[in-house]
Amino acid sequence: MADLVGVNGQREDFRVVGKPNLPGKLSYALATGIAKFGADYVLPDMLHAKFLRSPYPNCKIKSIDVSKAWKIPGVVDILTWEDPDLVKLGSGGFGGPPTLWIDNIAEQENAELGVIVTAENEDICEKAFKAMDIEWEILPFLVDVRTAYANNDDYPVIQQKSAAPSMFAAAPSKPKQGNVSYADTVQGDVDAVFAETDADHIIEYEVDLPTFASHIPNVVGSIAWLEDSVYQGEGKNLHIEGAVQRRDSVGRMHGFSAEKTIQEGLFQGGKYCDWGMRKSQEITPLLAKRTGRPVRCVDTREETFGFLMNERFIHMKIAFTDEGLITAIDDFSVADGGTSDNSSFGTANDQGYGPYVTTKCLNIRQHMEIVDSNRGKMYLSGQHCPFNWDSLTVGLYIIAEKLGKDPIDIAKLNLHGPSSQEDTEEVLSFETCIEYGKKMMNWDWHPSGTRTLPDGRKHGAAFRYQICPRHAFSGYDCKLELRSGVVHLPTQGPCTGIYAVECNAMVVAEELGLEYEDIQIDFDYREKFTPVGGGSDGSTASSWAMKECANILKAKILEAAIDQIKNPPAPSMFGGFGGFGGPPQADPFEGVESADELDLVDGMVCLKSDHTKGKRLGQAVSANIFATYSGRPPAAIWSVGMGKMLDTMNTAYCEVAVDEETGEVEILRFGVVADPGKVLRPTSLESQLDQVMYFSQGCQLLEEYVFDDRSGLFLNNNMIDYKKPGMMDVPPVEHGLMETRSGNAAYGASGISHSMANTHLVIIAIHNAIGVWVQPPATPDKILRALGKG
Amino acid sequence: MANEKSVASSGGSMTFTLETAHEHVSDVIKAIPESLTAFRCPLCGKSFVGYGELERHYALEHPEDVVPVIIVLQLNGKACEVLIEPHWTLQRTLQFRLGLTGAKHMCGKGVCGSCTVIADGRCILACQTLAVELEGVEIQTVEGIAADPKWKTLIDSYCRWDAMQCGYCTTGFLVTAKALLDRNPNPTEEECKEALAGNICICGTYPRHATAIMEAALKMSQPPEPPAAQGFGGFGGPGGFGGPGGPGGPGRRPPGQPS
Repeated sequence: MADLVGVNGQREDFRVVGKPNLPGKLSYALATGIAKFGADYVLPDMLHAKFLRSPYPNCKIKSIDVSKAWKIPGVVDILTWEDPDLVKLGSGGFGGPPTLWIDNIAEQENAELGVIVTAENEDICEKAFKAMDIEWEILPFLVDVRTAYANNDDYPVIQQKSAAPSMFAAAPSKPKQGNVSYADTVQGDVDAVFAETDADHIIEYEVDLPTFASHIPNVVGSIAWLEDSVYQGEGKNLHIEGAVQRRDSVGRMHGFSAEKTIQEGLFQGGKYCDWGMRKSQEITPLLAKRTGRPVRCVDTREETFGFLMNERFIHMKIAFTDEGLITAIDDFSVADGGTSDNSSFGTANDQGYGPYVTTKCLNIRQHMEIVDSNRGKMYLSGQHCPFNWDSLTVGLYIIAEKLGKDPIDIAKLNLHGPSSQEDTEEVLSFETCIEYGKKMMNWDWHPSGTRTLPDGRKHGAAFRYQICPRHAFSGYDCKLELRSGVVHLPTQGPCTGIYAVECNAMVVAEELGLEYEDIQIDFDYREKFTPVGGGSDGSTASSWAMKECANILKAKILEAAIDQIKNPPAPSMFGGFGGFGGPPQADPFEGVESADELDLVDGMVCLKSDHTKGKRLGQAVSANIFATYSGRPPAAIWSVGMGKMLDTMNTAYCEVAVDEETGEVEILRFGVVADPGKVLRPTSLESQLDQVMYFSQGCQLLEEYVFDDRSGLFLNNNMIDYKKPGMMDVPPVEHGLMETRSGNAAYGASGISHSMANTHLVIIAIHNAIGVWVQPPATPDKILRALGKG
Repeated sequence: MANEKSVASSGGSMTFTLETAHEHVSDVIKAIPESLTAFRCPLCGKSFVGYGELERHYALEHPEDVVPVIIVLQLNGKACEVLIEPHWTLQRTLQFRLGLTGAKHMCGKGVCGSCTVIADGRCILACQTLAVELEGVEIQTVEGIAADPKWKTLIDSYCRWDAMQCGYCTTGFLVTAKALLDRNPNPTEEECKEALAGNICICGTYPRHATAIMEAALKMSQPPEPPAAQGFGGFGGPGGFGGPGGPGGPGRRPPGQPS
């Protein structure tokens, strides 16, 4: 166990934390249909708004005449990009020129541009767009990244807007040329290793990372209206639903202070780390102001099909010794840079995430050439980041194949110790996961193409490791209240499906000697506390802070109990304590002088020396008590070392059967052995592990963005043609949850965010089965072609 | 038009329990008016007191357009008049006319099952079914299921097994699960999976559904347990003086007894 700071960090006895099957605090609302997402809100006299969407992958409105649209019955408002109300929404730009919030330019099909129509219903909006005379300037487009990259010198420059520089991205090695910009991260001297004789072996291989749709389940959008409320003072208040967690910024954008921006809804749907706001979530306040009526603006499914992952083509070169020790890593990648406002997490910023530096190899070069494209926009991040875990995983596998060794042994050989790349000690978390994982999977490694199942199909297996990074970058403002004998945990929520609020409630219950059900969570958008942080059990950083807060409350409760012992409240009309009409009972606190003599156990304030003697919390303390705590746990190793230091880790396994006659792949099973440090809420943690394995399955076997090369149009931005795994597709996922207590947060927990999704675990298992590489998605036709049968 | 109860946000400081959720959906269903009192033109927003006036308005102002129709839906055991345009789907009608948002709009193409409702005992997709086709058909939405005490066990199992993450698709799964249990009170895991094959959960909660359904089926097949005694300090039972939820604060539960 790590040397955990904070109150009770070393706790060994857990009554609540780690308990399965505790219902989520919002689950009953979700299961019964009560829960309202942004798109669900319907108000009397409500209008509907739609954006004009680009029919081309790269275009500009040269001129527009909306006069015929105005004549359509039911059209209430038409705004074009030059309208002062829209111009005012522009920003100063981060380190770049001022940007318009919306203009007459679109860099991808379906992008919002030019015009917003508000009407009595959505059908009328569409009718209005059709009535507009629009002169389009159709511009050259780029949806085939590799071809455009190969012809960069001759390819027309496609980006119409100047991209704002990223505050995170790696420094470019040279200025942008044509559609291509550059990013480099270099450590040591890779060329020297390749040129000299340090390497016994040099391998080169390709890793294609596929585009992956974010595909947020709920259709995204908002509804806004203006209302009077005596509680918020004079003047209209903005009420907006559908912009959960961004209420303040959307309100500010339209001139409303946080105090005058109201939101009640808690439900925002799955985010999968795509925290980017859509224009439909930001525009409704302006439209409501202009029309004086509630306005709803919601994207269609086809319009909510953004990237969660840009495609990337990686060429890897690795040098290694006869033992399998890597001495140089050279990662050259061509990445889809998307539209001008694409997140740099999908490209250059991903380089800084450092899977390569989890190895002992000191010579590492990552050179990325980022190609602007009209394929789409990655809004922020995705569960597959960092992407180059997979290029390393493939490399470890190829080394193992070449040397006739087990890839787990190659990974063990190369993984550095806990403190630095020079550290040769074992990493406890990794060793624990591997030991359990091998047993769970009956791990019995075989070289590629050498094992045939009784039914004639070929068997393949794969393994990968990763770290369990944490989110402890920001602090938390926690508040707890004892009111009428009940502990309240006020929070703004929201509900993103990761049960983060619940983890916090469990920690509070644990520390206060209560049950999970005893903690009353008060959801209120005005509250400061939000348990952000990566995935189920990723709320551990916030719950570390909440643990501190709970112990402050506990101390105050015991002090208040002493105060009440010394100054008992006046007897009530129902008689003395101990019961209505019953005989008076002996005071268990007789002679108690100090809070040090008391404890809070099983819902009772009791004697520390005898837990059976005491009073229920509400009887022992009638005062209202608040406790607050602002802070955060010590910085996570991840945020300090970015992979150069290691604590909590995880491993994943996959077994497949490949039919060489049909090209069909069956995932026989996935295995996940994860060490989140300490398991806080196992039910949702396991569910989250399932989720990322299904994400991985989808991108490796099923999901594919398909563009028409001639028109540049995205052909399958719908749920029929873009296939996600369903109930009958998914394989069993076996779990092993380790608790090394080596994280930095509550009880040594760390969480599992960004730690499991992958693009090549199944691909490696397929190679292990049939001995040939197939890039994702490994559809039967591709497999047959790879086998020379296509 | 949506009623006040359905417009009111489910956020704020509301507490969601099996009981409060049950009461809430029951109120939502009760609040749906059985007959129309206003006739609003969907094209220009003007309101009329009678359907005849609306028809005349169309003849004068929108002669090219199709006049909205009045249909009567048999919804969650109640006959409800609604005024819609003939091309409206049931999903659109439920949300924008009746304030029922449990049938979710996800794919809009009949692929994901998030808008599933039960029509005459059979699961149908509300995003692919015109509301005008459903006159005389008994429709049950997730709200109707949640308002029926019989199905509390299924809802409780769903919640305790976290058969939801973001929860957007959950209602579609739950409606399908209910329809399965209607025709097969003791399904196997494989039967659960087959029944739910048309429902997509992007959060990947798939394995949890069969577990929740089978647990609920088992509990529902057993005779109801007698009311359990409350823990010490509970003078008068739940909500009573000194009992759980009462002014004395949290009471203790016997070991192993869920709250």
